[in-house]
Amino acid sequence: MVRVDGGVAWFEPEQTTSCGHCASSAVCGTGANGIGSIASRIELRRFSLENPAGLRVGERVVVGVDDRALIKGALTAYALPLLTALTAGGLAQGAVGSDLVTMAAMVSGLIFGLAMARIAARRLSRRGELAPRFLRRASPGESCG
Amino acid sequence: MKDFALMMIGAALVNNVILARFLGLCSFMGVTTRIDTAAGMGLATTFVITVSSMADWAVQHYLLDAYGLGYLRTVTFILVIASAVQFTELTIRKVSPSLFQMLGIYLPLITTNCAVLGVALLLVEGHMSFIGSTLFAFASSLGYSLVMVIFAGLRERLALAQVPRLFAGPPIAFIVASLLAMAFMGFSGISTG
Repeated sequence: MVRVDGGVAWFEPEQTTSCGHCASSAVCGTGANGIGSIASRIELRRFSLENPAGLRVGERVVVGVDDRALIKGALTAYALPLLTALTAGGLAQGAVGSDLVTMAAMVSGLIFGLAMARIAARRLSRRGELAPRFLRRASPGESCG
Repeated sequence: MKDFALMMIGAALVNNVILARFLGLCSFMGVTTRIDTAAGMGLATTFVITVSSMADWAVQHYLLDAYGLGYLRTVTFILVIASAVQFTELTIRKVSPSLFQMLGIYLPLITTNCAVLGVALLLVEGHMSFIGSTLFAFASSLGYSLVMVIFAGLRERLALAQVPRLFAGPPIAFIVASLLAMAFMGFSGISTG
């Protein structure tokens, strides 16, 4: 847990890479807060929960998401845009048969699919299906690896 | 239409990216401890492989072939794949921050997945049309996802099985992977003569 705002607690996921274990990680950018570094990626994935158990900054907790949330999220973000892109490309290929037209249709289908994914993701968020839930405090030495 | 269907079945099952071409083995062993994470990784990789193959086809035809720069193919494709991953990451973040928080962990891993570059290079050798190369890439990545999910299912069962201590963990996983590869060899036909 990295911050408390009233009744809301902010968390960052623990994430390490094989590069992060290297003795030189501090000087090669892996350990720094620069753009594209692991630290900056983790900061982007910061999330909030209602402070459920009076947690304090620095405490480590275990959170979880619904069993099917990851699959639903992945289908929404990746499968939906791909299906619209491939459908648009297939229809354009059948109708015109030109590579350039097919390419333009696929890009248009991809953009349309991403717009649909945005709507679907909002709906999932509104239902709370993508939100992580507090499970328990992490025991000392427990890691996600 | 029939040609495309046969090509897709061949790319997904007969010449499976993981079990026949031995590409993407690090994610095959590393992200298959649970079915949902394997499916998440598989779908993310499917998206990146398909999008980057579209970009690679355009770069190959309108830049590398047109200006005789074929010797820069590998470097250019690596750049295109890294850009596709970055594009995907930015797009998912814009489309839904909640989805990005949940799925963002897989995206940086895909940049170093050799299956993405491998499929792009196979497409060049195939000399296909745009739609053909995109469908080939899509089918190859579907085959990758299928094997990831099957193997994750087997590993979930293995976690509950009583395995001799010597074989527990990665050794039994490698043995199961080899049996799965032999099962997929059946798709390429068995000679009886």
